[in-house]
Amino acid sequence: MVENVRTPASPFAVQQALLAEQLQRLLADLYPELRADVLLALQAPGKLLSTLVTPADSHDDERHLAPVLPAGVWPLLTLLLAQYLAPESDPLPACRVALAVECFICALDLLDDVEDGDTTAIIEVTGIPRVLNVSTTLLALAQKAILSLTDCGVAPEHVLSLLDTLQAASLTATAGQHQDLLAEQKPVEAFDQETCMAIAAGKAGALMRLACLLGAICAGASEQLCEQCATLGELLGIAHQLDNDCHDLSAALYRDATPGQRVKTDLQRGKKTLPVVLAAAARKTALQEQTAQADEKIQENERRALREGILATWGLCLLYRERARDCLQEIAASCSRPTPPALRLLLRL
Amino acid sequence: MEEQQIRDFVHRASTDETLRKELASNADAVIVREGFSPRVARIITRLIPYLSVERELEVSFGWWVF
Repeated sequence: MVENVRTPASPFAVQQALLAEQLQRLLADLYPELRADVLLALQAPGKLLSTLVTPADSHDDERHLAPVLPAGVWPLLTLLLAQYLAPESDPLPACRVALAVECFICALDLLDDVEDGDTTAIIEVTGIPRVLNVSTTLLALAQKAILSLTDCGVAPEHVLSLLDTLQAASLTATAGQHQDLLAEQKPVEAFDQETCMAIAAGKAGALMRLACLLGAICAGASEQLCEQCATLGELLGIAHQLDNDCHDLSAALYRDATPGQRVKTDLQRGKKTLPVVLAAAARKTALQEQTAQADEKIQENERRALREGILATWGLCLLYRERARDCLQEIAASCSRPTPPALRLLLRL
Repeated sequence: MEEQQIRDFVHRASTDETLRKELASNADAVIVREGFSPRVARIITRLIPYLSVERELEVSFGWWVF
């Protein structure tokens, strides 16, 4: 079953419609065939122009709650946060900044897929050279969206501050990505929890930090509130990365990986995610404790080590979400306003 | 500190069958005995169904995983 998320029942419908309309304006002047490819990228699951979502078979358990993927989760984060912090402000500038986030994240996602050798729908349809060009276009559009704020009367120094934040996040994220790529060529023993957490912070942590920080800057929040929002984003980004890594390894542990699935490419490429590193450490301990083991016992220990790596990582993921929840409460206290239900729903907190 | 507490407990539950049986029969008593902070206790409570028995993990918070 598939549904269009832009139904009156969607708690994000108003913001999604505004973002989609502004995005079409941003893309309007692109060369038509390039525009078509850019649209394809922005129609991927979770992106602002996506229409197909996962089945809405929600259950009581949090892990299954509301699996419907809202279109434009990233720009919604920026926009909803900006509207929360400055409810009386004109939503247009925040909307344009949110679109910069959407274009920037989409560009990096495309690069990540190419670097990881993943076969996504857009890569299959257009091929890698065009995907790379689309990514370059989206990076340029992200800057254009922020520069267009001068049309809305936003002060040049404010625009510069937003561009500077985007630039800083870009450098942090590319450093995190580079660490991740280099990790593929190093033995798992060269990694520990701290290194893996630093990579998670440099990748998803930096991106979600950016989405939240731009929302706060856009709202004209105080330096303290901006830092709280940036921290919220980083905590959520790290939790998101750990959850993703657990999910991938768990799928590999309990099911035969389907050819082409991300889990398989991640494992084949030797990604040093936290559950993999913790599982390797647990396996090493088990081997040291018992030197002579039957094959069956070795297999059992390896499976147990994998489970331990996944569960420990999931525990850390939950810890970061707990910290994010506390951070959200601190933000509510700082701005003397309760967190709006839509933002809480988006953050799953 | 909290990170290490979680890792250590998961390791112990993974390697100690007696602890797993205790978790299956009286998880609350184990949590009180371990003296976890409320935050760590909440996390361990979420993990217990998977620590005490071999149950497939379905880790995911929904739309932030795609």
